[in-house]
Amino acid sequence: MLAKPLLEDILLAGLSTGGDFAEVFVEDRFSTILSMIGGKVDSGVSGRDYGIGVRILKGTNYVYAYTNDYSRDNLIKVAKEAAAAISPETISRNITLSFMKDEPLHINPIRIYPHEIVKQDKVSLMARAYHAAKEYDPVISQVMVRYFDEDQKVQIANSLGLYVEDERVRTRTAITAIASKGPEKQSGTYAPGAHMGFEFYDNIKIEDYAQEAARIASTMIHAPYAPSGRIPVIIDNEFGGVIFHEACGHSLEATSVAKKTSVFADKLGEKIASSVVSAVDDGTIPNAWGSLNVDDEGHVSQRNLLIEAGVLKGYMVDLYNGRRMNVPATGNSRRQSYKFAPTSRMTNTFILPGSHTREEIIASTEYGLFARYMGGGSVNPATGEFNFAVNEGYMVRNGKLAEPVRGATLIGQGSDVLLKIDMVADNLACGQGMCGSISGSLPADVGQPTIRVSEMIVGGRKGDK
Amino acid sequence: MEVKVFAEKLFAAGREVGFDAMEAYVASRNLFRVGVFKSEIDSYTLAQSRGLSFRGLINGRMGYSFTENLSEDSVALLVDDARANAAVIDSEDPEEIFGGSPEATYADVCSFSPALEQVLAAEKIAWVKEVEQQAYGLDVRVSTVQVSLGNSSGETMLMNTKGLNLAHQGNFADGYVAAVVKEGEDTKSAYAFFSSRDFSRFDPVTLSKEAVDEAISLLGAESIESGQYPVLLRHDVAGEFLATFASSFSAEAVQKGLSLLKDKQGEQIMSSNVTIIDDPHLPERPNSAPFDAEGVATASKEVVAAGRLMTLLHNLKTAKKDGVNSTGNAYKMAFNAPVTVAPTNLYIQPGKRDYADLVAHIEHGLIIIAVQGTHSGANPVSGDFSLSAYGYLVQGGQVVRPVNQVTIAGNFFKMLSDVQEVGNDLHFKMGSIAAPSLLIGSLAVSGK
Repeated sequence: MLAKPLLEDILLAGLSTGGDFAEVFVEDRFSTILSMIGGKVDSGVSGRDYGIGVRILKGTNYVYAYTNDYSRDNLIKVAKEAAAAISPETISRNITLSFMKDEPLHINPIRIYPHEIVKQDKVSLMARAYHAAKEYDPVISQVMVRYFDEDQKVQIANSLGLYVEDERVRTRTAITAIASKGPEKQSGTYAPGAHMGFEFYDNIKIEDYAQEAARIASTMIHAPYAPSGRIPVIIDNEFGGVIFHEACGHSLEATSVAKKTSVFADKLGEKIASSVVSAVDDGTIPNAWGSLNVDDEGHVSQRNLLIEAGVLKGYMVDLYNGRRMNVPATGNSRRQSYKFAPTSRMTNTFILPGSHTREEIIASTEYGLFARYMGGGSVNPATGEFNFAVNEGYMVRNGKLAEPVRGATLIGQGSDVLLKIDMVADNLACGQGMCGSISGSLPADVGQPTIRVSEMIVGGRKGDK
Repeated sequence: MEVKVFAEKLFAAGREVGFDAMEAYVASRNLFRVGVFKSEIDSYTLAQSRGLSFRGLINGRMGYSFTENLSEDSVALLVDDARANAAVIDSEDPEEIFGGSPEATYADVCSFSPALEQVLAAEKIAWVKEVEQQAYGLDVRVSTVQVSLGNSSGETMLMNTKGLNLAHQGNFADGYVAAVVKEGEDTKSAYAFFSSRDFSRFDPVTLSKEAVDEAISLLGAESIESGQYPVLLRHDVAGEFLATFASSFSAEAVQKGLSLLKDKQGEQIMSSNVTIIDDPHLPERPNSAPFDAEGVATASKEVVAAGRLMTLLHNLKTAKKDGVNSTGNAYKMAFNAPVTVAPTNLYIQPGKRDYADLVAHIEHGLIIIAVQGTHSGANPVSGDFSLSAYGYLVQGGQVVRPVNQVTIAGNFFKMLSDVQEVGNDLHFKMGSIAAPSLLIGSLAVSGK
């Protein structure tokens, strides 16, 4: 971490050509990744990322510079180079900075820091997961377990006098089981994680997740291909929320709203979803995977209402895009590391519970697809077109779950699918994902109760409809 | 601290705690990037970074650690971390610290252009603004344009206690033009990507036109009836497919049971008009290098020749296990990542027919110009895919209208066994994997 007088000098150098805002972001991150395949640890890497990012704004002009040469001379030089890019002329100004240290609320208490646990204990955890998955069913031919933890310390100071230090500790274990039958292979994955120390693994039973990954793979290896066509789709709770994340969440980020490249730009107060849909982005859930004490601009995290009864209520906004939109930041400014300038991103984003039950939704569907587990997906924010993969699917016939089906992809247009959600259940749950966008790859929770979309395009391989 | 001095201190500290052989791998990079939005610079990045990855053998196991902080106190951290990581490794296939390939086998690969370093920031800013202006001027329906241009230079150094001391320098420039067009409520977007070591090859007129024309051509797109269609995968889509399933050719994936190519060497795995080459010495590509991530000399090879699998891609560890030589395909995803296996510049050898000629031969079918969600809708282990796609409907050899909201589904290897024609339009646009356009006999298309 840098001393305050140095931070001050960097900010002043950054403002030396007429910039109206300067910010320093210092990151010192320790991380460990262990990977196990076939029950054997085949790689273990740990280390330290360290670097400094300097950001300067002048109106809507924007310069970002980063370095990991932390010598005073270099940091001042980097700030001056960045300032020169804002404007070639040095302006003599009399600026005094007085940092007000913010003591952010520690909404994500950490009990056991990753460095307090010996590697062998992490390996034992992985071995438990491996055995639970491998021994679930003879068709499971291979199991991969990947353990990850990080301890990221950040220091953020800006020319408005903000000064914050924060520490983010996260851990996650991903289990992938592969089922084989002749030349065919199918996989199932489950990857629980939290903004928490190693105590996370006292709160969950890793075997349950490993068996679930194996169950998905062994179910799918026996499943025929999904049919194709436009049919009702029931998307189960938890990671099913990736539909909202992709179909709507990205288009509510100021990154695309400010430039009006989002389909939801200028739509505040308008009905953009069916009236059974309400949704939030909430970075304040204690110890949730996407939670933050403060965001990467030093802004305290918030719970932001996005949609209420189908009406658009708010966007996710960072400081810079807030300038274009003329609205305050919402605690959503995030970056993967000092190598990225921060921008508006999701934290934990989910659809709020409704009044039905999962059973009612299935019972009232004559024919359709039940997507029990979703894979990842992506969206084009300009057109709102999204796609995502169904990792475990079932046909629904006459109000009952029928045979499992593999290989289905759901596609559609965000604005359209939101209006077609006609039932929302009461079983809200969240799942963990890594969300990729312009400021890098970030931990984010997606979530929802079980929902039904009256009609979606299911892309399968069976030619029939 | 000076890298070589740091490495010497590191090796000395490592020897003291019992490391037998050690390696320091250092990547340093300088980067510049500028983007404009409505003639204002809305993103501008200047960066310098350097990272050191350490690995060493202790009690027959390889331990890894890394740092971006090359200060005195990092030496002990690196050694301790690597030792702790080595202690938990129980894989029976040992990695090795490499003594070096014969001197003459390290090719002279030119990856650095001094001219590119001379292009001023002001020229790049002016270029980006010009492209933006050109694009807005092309059509009244253009609603948003985003242009980004960047260049980077870097050096990779590999030093080890077996006397290997390698370095390779490179630089590169790339970027994109993104155009969003609107007609009533209909919004469409398209990208033009570009990359080269020669800045003068980036033509503002051609690139802005490429993005805008494509976006305009998609206005009014609709889905089509589900069914089996002949499909022309445009070169960029064909390249994306090859990139998505390239891990199948890795011996590591095969040995771990994560590839369908186990025991397939010498067999016909694709149509006989498909030949796939990995050439680490292509002069124009950023990944080209004389040595791989373990210091092994790189060489060009046919991976698939006329549909037959000729070789898998190997690093030292996978080669030892299979009793063959490394193909020089050891790879680190980042300076701090473990050594795995990956192609360097992988491509499908172009055929003779041009794109227009391929289109003219489609009686009733589809051209796919983009697929989405390859990270989720394609399974590199099984080869299966089901991907959101868009493009054009072709009837009687003519493009009749744009098509969107469809998925195409199948299996990569089955699809490449059904290649009817290979185009002559091989272009590396971005990344290091590319292919010419491929005409596929039949694919499952889901739409209406």
